[in-house]
Amino acid sequence: QNLKCVTHNLRKMACTWDVSSRRRHGQSDFCYTTNDLPPPVCFKTKEKRVEIPVPESSTTVTITTNSISGTAIATKQFEIHSADISFVPLTPRILSLTPDFSTSTLNLKWSDNGSAFPYGLDAFWQIQILRKEAKEKVTQVTYYSKMTHEDVILSWNWTSDMPLECTSHYVKIRCYINVTQFVGPKDWSDWSPVKEVPGKDTEPNGSGVFPQDTVVAVGSDVTFCCVHEEGQQIERMSYGSKVYPLIRLSSRSSAIRVLNASASDTSGTNVVCRLSEDEMDGTVLFVGYAPDVPQNLSCETSNFLIIKCTWKPGRPSGLYGKRGTNYSLFERISGKNVSCEVNEMNRERVCGFPVLADQKTYHFILGVSNPIGQTQSSLLVDLTQRVHPKTPEKLTVSGNSSTSVHLHWFINGSFAEIRLLCQIEISSGHSEQKMHNISMPGGKFSTYTAQLNTLHPYTKYQFRVRCSAADHFWRWSDWSRVEEHTTLEA
Amino acid sequence: MAAADSPSAALRRRDLCSRGIRLAGKMRSDVIDLLDTYVERQGLDASASVVTVEGVPVAAVERWDEQTGTQRLLENLTAYRAFRVLLAQMLEEHREQLGDADTGLGRALAAVLLQVSAFAYHLEELLRLESRGPPSEEGTAPPPVPHLGLFERKLRGLGVLRELAQWAVRSARDLRQLTKPSPGSSSAPSWAESP
Repeated sequence: QNLKCVTHNLRKMACTWDVSSRRRHGQSDFCYTTNDLPPPVCFKTKEKRVEIPVPESSTTVTITTNSISGTAIATKQFEIHSADISFVPLTPRILSLTPDFSTSTLNLKWSDNGSAFPYGLDAFWQIQILRKEAKEKVTQVTYYSKMTHEDVILSWNWTSDMPLECTSHYVKIRCYINVTQFVGPKDWSDWSPVKEVPGKDTEPNGSGVFPQDTVVAVGSDVTFCCVHEEGQQIERMSYGSKVYPLIRLSSRSSAIRVLNASASDTSGTNVVCRLSEDEMDGTVLFVGYAPDVPQNLSCETSNFLIIKCTWKPGRPSGLYGKRGTNYSLFERISGKNVSCEVNEMNRERVCGFPVLADQKTYHFILGVSNPIGQTQSSLLVDLTQRVHPKTPEKLTVSGNSSTSVHLHWFINGSFAEIRLLCQIEISSGHSEQKMHNISMPGGKFSTYTAQLNTLHPYTKYQFRVRCSAADHFWRWSDWSRVEEHTTLEA
Repeated sequence: MAAADSPSAALRRRDLCSRGIRLAGKMRSDVIDLLDTYVERQGLDASASVVTVEGVPVAAVERWDEQTGTQRLLENLTAYRAFRVLLAQMLEEHREQLGDADTGLGRALAAVLLQVSAFAYHLEELLRLESRGPPSEEGTAPPPVPHLGLFERKLRGLGVLRELAQWAVRSARDLRQLTKPSPGSSSAPSWAESP
């Protein structure tokens, strides 16, 4: 009675049946027809279970139950149609369950056993995550994939809301394959055996507070746990100055849940677990912001040797030291990358990039990152249009005439590729300040000269000079020092 | 019986001791200030109990009054050399963890480190008045920094500073003890046998 046939792979099916008589019985004679075509295939079986091919349409099964001595006790015939055969996929096999403690992530890998099925079938995988000693269900998700008639290793990640160290996590999986052309009932496979990632509360020296010294974004919800020795009691757990209610995870582990964490001090917020016998353990949480998009990114050169980029950092991240913000300057055309040494406390940020031979245009991407996030800012510049010369030095004034003088000054830098515009300010006690502009070819670490005429005889003058790029003005240099000179008498 | 000191050596030693006592007093008050800043900046509970920290010399000593002068100086020197290493480790960790963010605490740590180094040098000076002189530091590699979580490091720092404050008190008492003439003699013999 109750002959049931189940197939796991659409080709073979396992048939099982019951025997109602209480008499002791021996082997059974099992005969079946293939697609109702004689002759039947027959064989003897001690088990009340056989494996035979799945018929295309139907098959007739005859089962004769014999006594111990071999005489037939009862014979029954069954007509099995395709619709009577159930399809239950094989229990999936978990290949690996790998924890990443730093991100509290579990990575599950399993084989979809696709080679056993036609191409293109939809497959659904139910994955359950369990936790704690009582293996409480934490979550259940359904993952979808398509069969490719090959065995494919599927991979799935799950990030826990608490550190994996806190207590053991378990995973099990089952699947459902939507065999559209299969007319019989279809069902989920059995659950796979549970795969475990043991928590620290199962290790002899696993004590500690977790997560250890981690960084999260402002507003995050964070679960901390205190793993202690067997028999020890947690008196209280605090986050900063506030004590939190304990959540029991196991006999050696309890947790607290901090919601909407606010920015921490520079040295982080302490999470303290006070245990019996005056023992204490703890960890530190750093709560900050992802880096802000750099504002007012600007790049210029003062000497055609180094390009100096500056920017405003935007909102402070609240993270410092080795958790501080890293800056790097990537130049897309040359592919060159420079990492920037930046003092977190300076409002203005500066980074130097070498001027590259035979390259006039620079496409900068300022990359900004910290443990919480990253962002970038970009800038395309023609360097000849971003010249901000250094302060002219060694200004000297000479002249042996009553109405003209020669000025000489030096500018540190290599301006051979551009023309310079220099402005000379002429002041004297009793006449109005005058500006004299002069442009000249730039030189390489050169001294520049200018001659001023139409001065008044026997007059004391103060001169100073500043320069900029002549063709594409960007910024004046600072003024040089003032140099005094008195013209000769007429 | 060791020969009694010459008057100039005794004078030199007395001067070094009294300057050492003042240095220890200043160091102690600075360490106490640093402790307050440290507790506040590290978000610690001032009453936090810290078990004895490995590598930190303990100031408490049994039968303190039976120690010879040399023993006192040697134990002090060993301690302050250890504190010099511990404070340098703390300063390095501070820079690594906070970068430029908390220069106030960094400067205070550096200042106390400077005083500890000065005091160690001072003790070496005192020991140089002895024939044997101070033990060499060659070959004594600093203990490796234990791999601790940040909270444990904060507590360890607290333990170091607390113990240093205790040592400053003990050092002042030790140096005062050295300036006392030993019973029955007008001048102070060398410290080999004087408690």
